[in-house]
Amino acid sequence: MSAVLRWLVAMGLALVASAVGAHGEKAQMPQLRMSTVHWFDLEVSTTKLSVNDEIVVRGRFMPSMHWPHHVESIEDTAFLNIGVPGPAFVRLESRVNGVPMIRSTRFFRGETYEFMIRMKARKPGRYHVHPLINVKGTGPIIGPGRWIEVGGDPAAFELKAKTLLGREIDLESYGFANVLGWSAFWFLLGLSWFVYWLWKCPIVIPRFKQRDELGVDADRMITRTDRRTGLIYLAVTLCAIVGGYQYAQASYPITTPLQTGRVDVPPADPGPRVVTATMVEARYRIPGRSFRIEMEVTNHGDKALSIGEMAAGNLRFINAAVKPVQPADEDDLVAVDSLRVENAPIPPGETRTVVIYADDALWETQRMTTMIKSPDANVAALLFFYDTDGRRHHVEIGGPMIPVFG
Amino acid sequence: MAEDSAPPPASPSTQSGVANLAEQRRAYIQFDMLVIPLIVLLFMGIFSFHFALLVGDWDYWVDWRDRRWWPLVTPLCLAVLPGVFGYLLWERLRLPLAGTLTILCLTVASWISRYLNFYLFADFPMNMVWPSTYVALGLIFDCILLLSRSFFWTGLAGGFLFGLLVYPLNWPLLAPYMVPVELHGTMLTVADLQGYEYVRTAIPEYVRKIEQSTLRTFGEAVTPLTAVFAGFVNILNTWLWMWVGYLGAKAVWIRKIT
Repeated sequence: MSAVLRWLVAMGLALVASAVGAHGEKAQMPQLRMSTVHWFDLEVSTTKLSVNDEIVVRGRFMPSMHWPHHVESIEDTAFLNIGVPGPAFVRLESRVNGVPMIRSTRFFRGETYEFMIRMKARKPGRYHVHPLINVKGTGPIIGPGRWIEVGGDPAAFELKAKTLLGREIDLESYGFANVLGWSAFWFLLGLSWFVYWLWKCPIVIPRFKQRDELGVDADRMITRTDRRTGLIYLAVTLCAIVGGYQYAQASYPITTPLQTGRVDVPPADPGPRVVTATMVEARYRIPGRSFRIEMEVTNHGDKALSIGEMAAGNLRFINAAVKPVQPADEDDLVAVDSLRVENAPIPPGETRTVVIYADDALWETQRMTTMIKSPDANVAALLFFYDTDGRRHHVEIGGPMIPVFG
Repeated sequence: MAEDSAPPPASPSTQSGVANLAEQRRAYIQFDMLVIPLIVLLFMGIFSFHFALLVGDWDYWVDWRDRRWWPLVTPLCLAVLPGVFGYLLWERLRLPLAGTLTILCLTVASWISRYLNFYLFADFPMNMVWPSTYVALGLIFDCILLLSRSFFWTGLAGGFLFGLLVYPLNWPLLAPYMVPVELHGTMLTVADLQGYEYVRTAIPEYVRKIEQSTLRTFGEAVTPLTAVFAGFVNILNTWLWMWVGYLGAKAVWIRKIT
């Protein structure tokens, strides 16, 4: 019996552990991942910390110009959030382009934004932490994740705040004793009313029969004591409500209503446009897990440009000959040498047709192959060009995708 | 009362298991001991499910309890079971108990859920997810039914007070969380601060409905205006659910028992 119990507990813990590890990023439609928000330059200040230590998650994102028309736009209402399993961390600060992200906002398509989220570790564990943007009417658009390990004693966690009236409070317990006291008072008063009627036990069958026998005179079942008791309870209840309200008003004379609203975030200065690219054709060959994109690229700069990376749906396909990149951890979605480029570098001032091939099993393992089931069959990706000095320029491409089945 | 009833006469073809009044009373008590806990469990289940579906986040999180929507939505959803079962228990048993009993059951279920699901499993602090208190509303409903012995007056006075008093009843619990704080140049309440700092991945700030409406005719009197409006709407709401209770009491299966 105890072995069965142990097995059940182990299975339960395994389920909980797997739930902690996965945020459903693979479950989101490939088109949503590819054509909504391009995340890049994700950094975490540390991957190991203790309870009460702080961590900063920062990076950049660009809302896609190819945002699907069948979902609500990020240009209406959005909120920068962080994907962690519950409040394993508390968020101390979050900013986009320097603007605090306490409230909701909106982001413009095609603009680049820098974000930072500062958090404090609260519960020990190993967590896959993702930045994400909740878009009203669309849902969460999840960014790339990093594994963060938190150690230490959860009982040692502290979160203080200071009210505008100068009082320091502990947010972990503030006000709860008061809540408990009032809740217990009302519960006991209600329970005593229940017990008063229960005291007449047996009550169900005898009262049912008596009510039936008395017919229109059934009110005779209510005694004078019952009515007096009812009056007392009514008076006590109303007095306690009024008294409690007055007490709270006297104890907390200065309060404000819940705060809401929206802030505006100015986009970052994009700088001079060095490169433009237009997708001519995109074909995804399903058996080979190979994406072939043909595009027209114009180099407006004064140095030759090479394509070092294509990022789509949080997958990074790297051209190692231009800019080697290694995965940050075992779940960093980097295909280290998977991008093949034809007809590049692009000389300064020239426009030419470039073909890229992004070939990797990541398309399959990250469930991107289901892109053929999208209602619009459009794709988008971010290309990273590097000039001869190593300077990076990013540009988005997008358009219809044709699957190749053979 | 029970002693006044004679044991049921045995028909020629059947023999009663109850031989005397004492045995009959014992059987009635055993029936109560079986049925009442089942009713309590039933009320806990259906009321918490109903409340989770219709009120949900308004009661889960302290930073959702605004002055406009929470005091309006809550009584309308809260009056359903007291209305239906208030009619049934009064009409069939003359027991003015349904308001208090159903809300007590909801209270117990809510505290169990918050403790197990929100605190132990999801790790939110209890001071952010405590359930509001509504037992007083059930008491008012029952006492008015007992004193007036009228569904009309219970709906009128009880329904009105049900809607009117949600906010003042909970204000002693809620007021500490409405104290202002500052965070990065933004004024918030303590409740807002908790909502921001304790991360909820699937509940972004904009999902909350904070005072979104046009009922601002009387300047700053947001809470009283909402309370009175909720009271008036809840009169009709309470009568509606009592009528549903009346339809339930007419059900054929109850007539057959009678």
